[in-house]
Amino acid sequence: MELFASQLLNGLALGSLCGLFGIGFGLVFATLGILNAAQGCYASWAAIIGLAAAEKMGAPFPLIMLAGMGGAAAVAVAVDQLGFQPLRTRGADMLGALITSIAFWMILDSLAGFATGQQSLSFPSTSYPGQMLLTEPVPLPAMQLITIAVLVAVAVGMHLLMTRSSVGSAIRAVGWNPVAAALGGVNSRSIILLTAALSGAISGLAGTLGGVLTSNVSFTLGQGLLLKGFAAVVVGGYSDVRGTAIAGVILGILEVFVGQYISTALRDAFTYSLLLVFLLVKPQGLFGKGSLVRA
Amino acid sequence: MTPILELDRATKAFGGVTAVDALSFVAPRGQVTGLMGPNGAGKTTVINLISGLLHVDSGRIALNGTDVSAQKPHHIGALGLARTYQNVRLISGLTALEQVVAGSFLKRDTSMLASFLHTPAARHRMRAIREKALHLLDRVGMAHSADVLAETLSYGEQRRVEIARALGADPVLLLLDEPTAGMNPAESAEIGRLTHKLRDEGLSILMVEHNMKLVVDFCDSVIVMNFGRLIARGAPTECIRDPHVQEAYFGKQRHDADGLRAVG
Amino acid sequence: MDYLSDLWATNRSTVAFAMVNSLFALSTYVVLAAGFLSFSTVVFAAVGGFVGAQLVVKGVGLPFVFGAAAGGGLLISLLVAAVFLRLNSHWMALASLALVLITRVVTLNAPALTGGVNGLGVPLALPMDWLTGVLVLTVLAFYALHHSWFGVASRVLREDPSVAACMGVDLRQIQLIAFGISGIVGGIGGAAYAMLLQFISPDTFFLGIAFTMIAATVLGGSYHWFGPVVGAVVYTALPIVMQAFLPHLLQEVANGVVLLLIMIFLPRGLIDPRAVRLRRAAPAAAGVMKIRA
Repeated sequence: MELFASQLLNGLALGSLCGLFGIGFGLVFATLGILNAAQGCYASWAAIIGLAAAEKMGAPFPLIMLAGMGGAAAVAVAVDQLGFQPLRTRGADMLGALITSIAFWMILDSLAGFATGQQSLSFPSTSYPGQMLLTEPVPLPAMQLITIAVLVAVAVGMHLLMTRSSVGSAIRAVGWNPVAAALGGVNSRSIILLTAALSGAISGLAGTLGGVLTSNVSFTLGQGLLLKGFAAVVVGGYSDVRGTAIAGVILGILEVFVGQYISTALRDAFTYSLLLVFLLVKPQGLFGKGSLVRA
Repeated sequence: MTPILELDRATKAFGGVTAVDALSFVAPRGQVTGLMGPNGAGKTTVINLISGLLHVDSGRIALNGTDVSAQKPHHIGALGLARTYQNVRLISGLTALEQVVAGSFLKRDTSMLASFLHTPAARHRMRAIREKALHLLDRVGMAHSADVLAETLSYGEQRRVEIARALGADPVLLLLDEPTAGMNPAESAEIGRLTHKLRDEGLSILMVEHNMKLVVDFCDSVIVMNFGRLIARGAPTECIRDPHVQEAYFGKQRHDADGLRAVG
Repeated sequence: MDYLSDLWATNRSTVAFAMVNSLFALSTYVVLAAGFLSFSTVVFAAVGGFVGAQLVVKGVGLPFVFGAAAGGGLLISLLVAAVFLRLNSHWMALASLALVLITRVVTLNAPALTGGVNGLGVPLALPMDWLTGVLVLTVLAFYALHHSWFGVASRVLREDPSVAACMGVDLRQIQLIAFGISGIVGGIGGAAYAMLLQFISPDTFFLGIAFTMIAATVLGGSYHWFGPVVGAVVYTALPIVMQAFLPHLLQEVANGVVLLLIMIFLPRGLIDPRAVRLRRAAPAAAGVMKIRA
């Protein structure tokens, strides 16, 4: 029972990472129409920057998180302005953006390889709250609780931002039709910058937390998050933050339990089979509103 | 004889807005029928419903006696409907001739396999279609630009190529969505004359048009709608004098004289 | 002398890889040209690759190997199309990417057919003349397609699906044919790849190759069948050329930068028939202006 409970927590925490990353990934996909293969690199770089802040400056934990988020946001904005903006001014389709993001993926991943010396690094144990909050009845590491809390906070915050605030409707308007949005008085350039930064920061948060939680700071961190976050986006429905968060958590729990009780080899099989089932049965995702077809 | 097109209480709503509201009208065979109405009256929605890009929520649309309310666009095309678009939609990268050849897709008379294998029959048929396409370009006065990339042509020329493309399918009903938008009066009159010639050869035409002079000069009858409803129908000159139409176009305060001056 | 023969050996394999990548790029292109961004060529290639490898192991002759790989690719492509054609273009991109991930898991867990984690050795090196023959035939087929009614319909469909539908083009039919062709060519490419590497495993057909296919296609240009061929050649040769100038560590970065520059400065790819026509039109138009003036 204790094993069950602690594995549940494990799954929740890992799933929260996927969900968190997926929210960032889904945001640019749903609003800017970019299938961003470089999104995983934002997470890797956030962890690397966070690690640098911890090691070089001895920054406290909240500052490490902020450094990771800020760094990833900066990278995301740079990628957007260098790579995607020229396409946007030309009215190119999502294909061009995908190829551009693949190019950035290659560049940022190899640079991340240099930065970590082609190794997997980990955060010094003094740089984050490594203690157990509880040992009885279940061991509860503080980091797991923090990760779960962060997902809940970000998911609720983003959902409210996207559905209730004027910023959210401006983001959706720009995503739907930038010209009409501009006519409606929305400054689409700054909204795009904001969306890119927000998406980078959220994925970066997932990366920094993931770097601490899994003791893996390297480019493989981002690649793992990209695949799992992508699954969360598909299962959850890309236009809905709640769906992504819930799907991420479910996938995380499922993975941990399949690995624990069935077989490690079948772990990925379960995740992707679920993905396939959703694609076939409910392609619009948990909270999706059907596909968008225009005349 | 069944009318070429019949709408029976056709209704289409988007969200809470009813763009077409129980609209009924008949377009007689072998005539140019005008579809008029101020901006936002729902004209383009009607065109999209007829061509199958949108489907009615309720009501019925019949083309040449066949119910097409739930048909897909390519089935409706095969039944003899061809159309042009409000903002010209030619295909980027193709020459004027290639646009018209593409428009003859329904008349290809060749299986996909034969076309892939380039059988003698398929090649013969393709040559015939090219010749016909060239002839159609000639009819709209664009033969000299057959091998020119269509997107480099002027707006008015592109409109004419688009009409030739629609004619490529040998339609029984041609929908023209604002065929003279962005044209000068001389070019507009030319389009009007072309519609007359086509009509005299037996083609039925439904034309969405803003230009009242053109409607008066070239339409045999006209249907006027506002807010998705029919507000007048009949002979063009009478319809334009109709107080409801005057009100829809020029507001309540204007007198008939103002309206007529606008027509002239 | 050793140096020279080494050089030939390296280049020969580069040429062979360029040719196989051309097949993959053409398979990606035909679906792209019908309006869908899809990664499913990887799946077709995996099916063709494993079917081909198994048959080679059993000692079946090359014509049957390629025939079976093409058939396997076709079958799976029609299945994928039947299920995925309901989705819109954005979803298709995501769904086909998911399918690539799933394919890897499936192949990993079917060791009887695929060798599982250990992969399969393929005891036959692909003869160069066979590869050349297959590619030439494929290119001829694409040439014929380009000038067929399928080509006409797919060009219109890609630019404006609504216009195509109103012209009488059955969108589903054209897309189904596109997927079928993609499946056949992808399956053949997969078998050729397996014999070229003389080894395949579930990791052979994964994200790396998925992105390579798309990148090569877009790099070469996805508006004419010649584009994917050129793109595949350039994309295969690029790392080899880079090797000569750059330290190993910087190569990947340089590849990314080159890809990025091409996307920014040549977004429609190296081969763009529209640009050629525009260029041809420009002097003519200038001439007309002069006469009028």
